[in-house]
Amino acid sequence: MTMTSPNTQHVHWDLDYDIHLGETWGRFMDGLRDKKIYANTGGSGKVYVPPMAFCEESFRPNDTWVELSGEGDLEVFTVVWQGFRGGPKPPYAIGGIRLDGADTLLMHYIVGLDFSDPAGIRAQLPQGSRVRAVWAEERSGQILDIAYFEPAI
Amino acid sequence: MAYQAVVAGVGITEATSPRKQTHSFVELCQQAAHAALEHAGASPDSLDAIVVGDIDGFEGTVLGAKFQTRQLGLGSDIPVIVVNTGGTTGGNLMQVAARMVRSGTHSRVLCLGGPTFFGAQDLQAAINTNSPMIVEQPLGMGGFHMGAFAASAYQARYDIKLEDFAAVVVADHTKASKNPFAHLRYTVTIDDVVNGTPLSSPLTQPMVCPVSTSACAMLVTSRQSAQTLRTSPALIKAVGTSGDPYLGGGKGDFAAMENLAILARRVYAMADIRDPYNDFDVVEVFAPYAHMQPMQLEALQLCEAGKGIEFIRSAESHRGGSLPVNLSGGPKCTNAGVAGELAPYIYVAWQIMGDAPEEIRVENAQRGLAHGTGGTFFQFENLAVFESTTESR
Amino acid sequence: MTDSQKTTRFQPVHVAGIATTQWLPEHHAVVDELVYQAVADALNSASLSRHEVGLTITSSMDVYDGRSISSGLTNSASGGYLRDSYRLESDVGTAIIAAAQAISAGDVDVAVAVGAYNPETAARDAERRAFLEQLSNYAFDAHFARPVAMTAQATYGLHAVWAMEKQGLTLDQLAQLAAREITVASTSARSMRTSVVGPEDVLASPAVSWPLTELMLPAYSTGAAAVVLASPARAARANSRGAVITGLGHGTGSYLETDEWLRDPGASSARAARAAYRGAGIVDAAATIGLVEFTAPTPSLYEPILAALGVDKDLSPASINPSGGAAGNYPGLANGALRLLEVVERLEQGNHRGKSAVVHSVDTITGATVLDSTVLVVEGA
Repeated sequence: MTMTSPNTQHVHWDLDYDIHLGETWGRFMDGLRDKKIYANTGGSGKVYVPPMAFCEESFRPNDTWVELSGEGDLEVFTVVWQGFRGGPKPPYAIGGIRLDGADTLLMHYIVGLDFSDPAGIRAQLPQGSRVRAVWAEERSGQILDIAYFEPAI
Repeated sequence: MAYQAVVAGVGITEATSPRKQTHSFVELCQQAAHAALEHAGASPDSLDAIVVGDIDGFEGTVLGAKFQTRQLGLGSDIPVIVVNTGGTTGGNLMQVAARMVRSGTHSRVLCLGGPTFFGAQDLQAAINTNSPMIVEQPLGMGGFHMGAFAASAYQARYDIKLEDFAAVVVADHTKASKNPFAHLRYTVTIDDVVNGTPLSSPLTQPMVCPVSTSACAMLVTSRQSAQTLRTSPALIKAVGTSGDPYLGGGKGDFAAMENLAILARRVYAMADIRDPYNDFDVVEVFAPYAHMQPMQLEALQLCEAGKGIEFIRSAESHRGGSLPVNLSGGPKCTNAGVAGELAPYIYVAWQIMGDAPEEIRVENAQRGLAHGTGGTFFQFENLAVFESTTESR
Repeated sequence: MTDSQKTTRFQPVHVAGIATTQWLPEHHAVVDELVYQAVADALNSASLSRHEVGLTITSSMDVYDGRSISSGLTNSASGGYLRDSYRLESDVGTAIIAAAQAISAGDVDVAVAVGAYNPETAARDAERRAFLEQLSNYAFDAHFARPVAMTAQATYGLHAVWAMEKQGLTLDQLAQLAAREITVASTSARSMRTSVVGPEDVLASPAVSWPLTELMLPAYSTGAAAVVLASPARAARANSRGAVITGLGHGTGSYLETDEWLRDPGASSARAARAAYRGAGIVDAAATIGLVEFTAPTPSLYEPILAALGVDKDLSPASINPSGGAAGNYPGLANGALRLLEVVERLEQGNHRGKSAVVHSVDTITGATVLDSTVLVVEGA
């Protein structure tokens, strides 16, 4: 630990984790590797993507899997102009997508916006615009196997 | 038997930026703890326990409360309870203390919120670690990015202009300029806000909270135990919390605070509030980002859907109006983490006790509403109703 | 405390249900799945639904869960969607106490306390201990203790040395006590240590923090445990367990600013016990308590903590840590609920009629310092 100024001391956390996926997210990630987007349901009528092992409302297990098409409505998005240390280089856009057949929103990158006109960005993709998933060339079973969503004309 | 719980003392330190702060985390906590005890006229050894909020990943210390509470001058043996629910921790502290006291196992409990963000080099990076791991965290969202979704959705739903969000910021800064305990005490213009550095659309820098350092504390006691203290306590009439789904994508509608609306109904029923606008004399909501305040006021039934900004613009929500809101300046002007989240409860209790700083005091406030929110995508909400224990003057 | 409040009896709360997941060295599951499993099972066993639960409290820690505000993940899993729910970063004994207080306060009729512990690491054995100790190091202050490598294990070692030098404890006694507890535990289906061992096996196990060896430290497991509590009125109509909590207490020990943690590590347990006995109306613990499940992280802490609980020293071995205690299974933050389960089962078997039981738990995050202790007084119903 080094002194940075008379009143502060530099403190560093260096934590490495192996985060367990569990069976539910594990199945979802395996699906992504195969260019499939799986949602689950069964605890109630609500369809979850990303999937959850249980329905929060009914408190019963979600034991039924459905495959989604990868297309949906862009319900909301933001453009990040200032990011954070260790994060992607701005500007970048993140949206909440209601995939066809799902009740939850999937959060993901939105690509295809013209960032040169900040004031006009919202008009480029009005609420409810159709978007579709674009797959990464190399996939290894993680959320970024979907590279991003782009406008689907 | 069980007991009623009251707030018998509050303490809050002055606030400034981490860069300008000369006191340490522990020193600020010491000041706040002793200020609350001093306000109540209670001795440190009359405390039965202390409830502290820690958000470890933001503080660079695991369960900092464990050793910090032993450095406050309250003795080495005070039982410590550490609550960590992210942003709602502040309000939760009071809820935990209230139940300890109501059950009869404790008669005096101190709640303490420290300057959580003090020392973090890149707060947005720290906040990214609470974005749901694996499925949402890789998407590069920090605090204000997550907040921006609701701003975007609200804007689209009610055709809100940037100037409208700016009006909220102008109002908060005007109020904070009068509060001796606020951090940002300068006033701003609509242009200042609209032309501020863009952060995450539609939010600009002036629309989001600062990183402040301050601490605050609250003494919760049984109504009985407060009789030997020197303040006129505020009864904790009702308190509740509610949780939205874990994944950001689990919310139904980003343009309305459904979770808060549900919670408000529950807490109002507990407190027999049937006409919130007229029943309350003072309100403090936790709105660190400009769009949140009108949305919260709408969910709390204090104005119609889409009319939040109109109300905030009007004199009715300022001091002297029919329902003053965020006279402290809110977290838009002072946000010290857990201290920031406990602050709305502190300010409203202070008002109900008749002791709020003169510059922001609402005379004869009998019933008040305090609100907190936090967590990824502001997943958690909490709410409390306070009532005066003295007759209307 | 005001005098009149000192005489207030705690309003008893019933244990309506308890359930746990399996106890494993590592669960291949996300922590919310473990919480859900334990809570759903506990509610089902009591014939209660989450919609009747007024409050859920989770015990978990961000640093174990690998995410900040991990309560965002577990609130729903504990049944808290759109309801009153929060998270404490301490052993589940504190959550059980908070849940009981909410009922006793008259705020809710049914409350759930759940503890979850499944550190997000794939490391095992010494490497796993190294990871957990890194987290423990971060719980010490950054300016003085952290840079000199203070960790839970270090404090356990320091305390053991103190006890040997100042209080006459011998290495042999440490080894004997550890071997005894492990042997008692070894017959239990819940134990992580399934072999009978002798003192020589204990001394031969890997050295951790002198004089303590691996077999002198808790037998860590992972999993989740949930307790459903109910008011007497509500419990009467639920499929409740045969146990009632009649007193509760919580104490926290000193940090490094005094040497209380070395001289008198049982102090916080004694304070917790005093509060619990007061609430239960017990004036003579030695005469009233017939069964104890308590948590001693090391054999050097065994005597100080047991003495702190004030129970009869001549209680039969079958009445003191019949499960083998932490030497058999210590599931991190879920420990308080496991100890309660061990007591509830034995009360239901009816072997301790006419006597009360004591359930005691501690955390191990900062080792012997700032020892956070909870005590419950439990009676058969």
